[in-house]
Amino acid sequence: MLKINNLNAKIDKKIILNNFSLNINPGEVHAIMGPNGSGKSTLSNILSGKKGYDVTGEILYENKNLFELETEERAHKGIFLAFQYPLEIPGVNTNIFLKTSLNAIRRANGEKELDAIEFLNLVKEKAKNLKFEEEKLNRQLNVGFSGGEKKKNEILQMSILNPKLSILDETDSGLDIDALRIVADGVNSLRKKNNSFLIITHYQRLLDYIKPDFVHVLINGKIIKSGGPELALELEKKGYENFN
Amino acid sequence: MREKELNILKDYKYGFTTDIESVKAPKGLNQEVIRFISNIKKEPQWLLEWRLKAFERLKALKEPDWQKPKYPKIDYQDLYYYSAPKSFKEKPNSLDDLDPKLLDTYKKLGIPLQEQKRLNGIAVDAVFDSVSVATTFKEKLTEKGIIFCSISEAVQKYPELVKKYLGTVIPITDHYFATLNSAVFTDGSFVYIPPNIRCPMELSTYFRINASDTGQFERTLIIADKGSYVSYLEGCTAPMRDENQLHAANVELIALDDAEIKYSTVQNWYPGDKDGKGGIYNFVTKRGLCKGKNSKISWTQVETGSAITWKYPSCILQGDNSIGEFYSIAITNNHQKADTGTKMIHLGKNTKSKIISKGISAGLSDMTYRGLVDISSRANNSRNYTQCDSLLMGNKCGAHTIPYIKNKNLESNIEHEATTSKISEDQLHYCQQRGLNQEEAVGLIVNGFCKEVLQQLPMEFAVEAQKLVGISLEGSVG
Amino acid sequence: MREQLVTDFDKIISDSNFSKKDIELKRISLDKFIEDGFPTKKKEDWKFLDINRAIEKNIGELDFYNDYSFQNKIDTSYFVKGLEHNKIVFINGRIEKIDFKSEDSNKIEIIEESNLSNKFNNINSLINLNNAFANKNYKINVKENYSLKKPLIVYHLTSNKIYKKNINLRLDFKLESNSSLRLIDYFEDDSKDNFINIFYNFDLEKDSSLKNYKIDHKDNKNVKYSFNNIDQKENSISETFILSSGSSFFKNEVNCDLNGKYSSAFVNGIFKLEDFKNHEIKTNINHLTENTKSYQLIKSVLGEGSKAAYQGKISVNSIAQKTDGYQLSKCILLDKTSEFNAKPELEIYADDVKCSHGSASGSLNEDSIFYLMSRGINYEQAKELLINGFLLDVIEKITDSETKNLIKNTLGLKE
Repeated sequence: MLKINNLNAKIDKKIILNNFSLNINPGEVHAIMGPNGSGKSTLSNILSGKKGYDVTGEILYENKNLFELETEERAHKGIFLAFQYPLEIPGVNTNIFLKTSLNAIRRANGEKELDAIEFLNLVKEKAKNLKFEEEKLNRQLNVGFSGGEKKKNEILQMSILNPKLSILDETDSGLDIDALRIVADGVNSLRKKNNSFLIITHYQRLLDYIKPDFVHVLINGKIIKSGGPELALELEKKGYENFN
Repeated sequence: MREKELNILKDYKYGFTTDIESVKAPKGLNQEVIRFISNIKKEPQWLLEWRLKAFERLKALKEPDWQKPKYPKIDYQDLYYYSAPKSFKEKPNSLDDLDPKLLDTYKKLGIPLQEQKRLNGIAVDAVFDSVSVATTFKEKLTEKGIIFCSISEAVQKYPELVKKYLGTVIPITDHYFATLNSAVFTDGSFVYIPPNIRCPMELSTYFRINASDTGQFERTLIIADKGSYVSYLEGCTAPMRDENQLHAANVELIALDDAEIKYSTVQNWYPGDKDGKGGIYNFVTKRGLCKGKNSKISWTQVETGSAITWKYPSCILQGDNSIGEFYSIAITNNHQKADTGTKMIHLGKNTKSKIISKGISAGLSDMTYRGLVDISSRANNSRNYTQCDSLLMGNKCGAHTIPYIKNKNLESNIEHEATTSKISEDQLHYCQQRGLNQEEAVGLIVNGFCKEVLQQLPMEFAVEAQKLVGISLEGSVG
Repeated sequence: MREQLVTDFDKIISDSNFSKKDIELKRISLDKFIEDGFPTKKKEDWKFLDINRAIEKNIGELDFYNDYSFQNKIDTSYFVKGLEHNKIVFINGRIEKIDFKSEDSNKIEIIEESNLSNKFNNINSLINLNNAFANKNYKINVKENYSLKKPLIVYHLTSNKIYKKNINLRLDFKLESNSSLRLIDYFEDDSKDNFINIFYNFDLEKDSSLKNYKIDHKDNKNVKYSFNNIDQKENSISETFILSSGSSFFKNEVNCDLNGKYSSAFVNGIFKLEDFKNHEIKTNINHLTENTKSYQLIKSVLGEGSKAAYQGKISVNSIAQKTDGYQLSKCILLDKTSEFNAKPELEIYADDVKCSHGSASGSLNEDSIFYLMSRGINYEQAKELLINGFLLDVIEKITDSETKNLIKNTLGLKE
């Protein structure tokens, strides 16, 4: 589904990703763990199409060159990024934003757009599953939301947009244990044969709730070790510094 | 070539002209032309004298030049001051008598005048070039004693009302353009709401400039008698022409004790082409007088059109406890220029005013908010709150905020806040990651930015305005 | 006025030894002033306070000639105590003393400049008046990497020997790279009905720092105008604080050109007025390159018949991305005859900027007074406490602690 070959990324001449390679097949859950500044967020930014990086190498998504796709086209084709810091957009109603987004994606895929009632029913159901207060959906997008609410809002959007490849960029940071469980449940309920996940995290604790198929350790822009879920536990024990 | 034309047409969808023969006063500005206008409208002597007095005054006035957008000198002798469709020489008695081409024009604008196709719950007065062509829903309004007609008709049928209020808010001794209007105004709408009547529907005027070399000088007069309420909508379009056209209207609102007037404008005059050629000069004077106690006047404007917009819809808060409000969205793109804002003059006790202004500039345009809040020494316990936000798109445009704040009353409070910002790359990226293309993302964020003002518009207008906001900024990012 | 100007000008020229070129430049400025006259409220910049009327009403006919041949005796009792400082003493417009004895003498250069430049022609007619009549031009250079150990206090003293006179002062400062200067302007008037016109020019080189504190506190019946022009290079800082209180009429104008990256300007001020005084602060902060910053905070407390105006303008050039501009004015009206006017203006041509302004005016919060009174404080005391609290946060913005204490003492604010 996603093949990253020898990806190099620089920003202002500073090397952030260095010959980074990764292969994700349909249905797999990958976790990337790394210390601060290892290049985790750069990876998610590049996958989602954020500009400002000097990039070489290759990223294939469903066998197509990802670099040829605009940010929104990537979204149309099923790539979803749960932002580490979800943006506040004043004046824009959360529900309206979600509906615009969902229908843009459906339209791009030749599906029928949902009308207001169909949409509201869908949102209600998803919000209930995630214990997300419906009242918040009538507020301005992320404005005045707590850190945890913003993250839950990202997962809600994910469950509504039903992406093929979900990238969770430090979604666990700033969450208390209950919120963490709700977020994990949300992710787990989306795990299907064809849906893949890339979970970027600093800590192992999220992986207690979402069992990854593969764990990769990212240090200085490079994967230095890959393995199964046990690698996360090893890392937690040793710490990044002694891990070599 | 044809494709190019089509593209232009797509940009400004109201840019067609209507091929209707018209009757015009001779070009130029002089006593004869004023007499001609007055005569063709069969006006009473007092009104002719009033016009001539304004004209005398005009000779002593100079065109103001303190505004930010400068424009080439207007040759006032090279304009037509009166233009009416020929079929109007004898005013038609009913819609059936109207020139079908005219009906067609309004259909293209999306304003069906035939009552069977009428807009739901909105009574419309349509002004074509200089004259009012049709007013809908007359009977229903008459039942309640509401007068809604062209001002020409009001002069004939309700002279005492017109005489009592005309020029009481914008006197003939006002500034240049207002006085010019007083001398040569041709038509416009007249509204009178009797005491304790709540007008059951939105009243609406649609202005259309069609003829070339024509100045449009309408005059609107709205009187809300004690305890009454009216919501009034104004829409404007003009065909695309290479030369600039002048629109210098006067709008006077008078609210008596406990009355409320809500005046909304969606201004979409032709803004000129991408290189700044042509377009309307929109130099209008709008002023409301909260004459009675507990009265309220609220202006809402969405200004997206015109080459130059230069106007300050204002409130004079004379009655104790009266309220003035101003909600504005102004968008300039390409070479457009706007210098707009409001004046809130607090004279009565316990008067309150609120100003929310959202300015968006893109392309090579220039936008100025200019406003005055003046609390006089008698206006005890008065309040003003002002918020002016500007959004810039690109660094070839300008956004300016020039508020004048005067407080002479120690019991009164004035609060003013202003910010200038841009749409952040991160916000755009976030929306695009959710599948919105750049223009949709910009439209969404800008509509969010304008939300507080859009909420003030009546339902039917809000939808139109929201679309207009998106269209006006098309192609301004990226 | 025209004849008076011409005769007074000729008298000055014949008394002094200006160069031919200077006389020529002075004459151009004079002609320009004669043409324009004193600014009236028809000029946008003078909309709120009309200096032409103030001069007509408070003074009447002005005399532009001053005889600078006699030395004035310096009354040292006017000097600020408890604060060691350098001094420049003006008495009735004549420089009586320049004293930098606290400093390394080779680090400060004092040039009696005879070469006038016409760089500052036509800013406004008062600058032209200043160019035409200013007696001596001193230029003070602070050398590279030198920070003055002690503040410099410029005393603006007047005695009752002058009456209905116009006095024009001019000082130039150059702060070479990485140097710093603390400059306090201290006004003490024993005269009345004069018009004092001051023009300072500052050139701030890379990494230099200027702190200018203006203290006009003693009640007097003079009309004053002061113009600071500050030109700033990379990474320089200017801090201006104005205590505007004593004179009948005082307009302080600050023009700041932020020409170098990472340069910043701070303008803070207090109006504390009563007794029909008219004061104004007008600022023009021009952000001309990227990554510059400006901050302005003005607070006013206005008593009987007084009127204050604040015109603050932030301009952002189209290349001045990442500008950070902020201004706030707050006012308390104490009397039904007092008046506050503000025109906080933003003129912005770049899109990646953070600019905002705010303005608020109103009366003292009666609830707060009530609260204090419920704790046993009487009305007058409660009022004073609240006013002091209101003003204190502007004073706290003063970064030089010695001057901060001086100003606190001047205003009678207790620690």
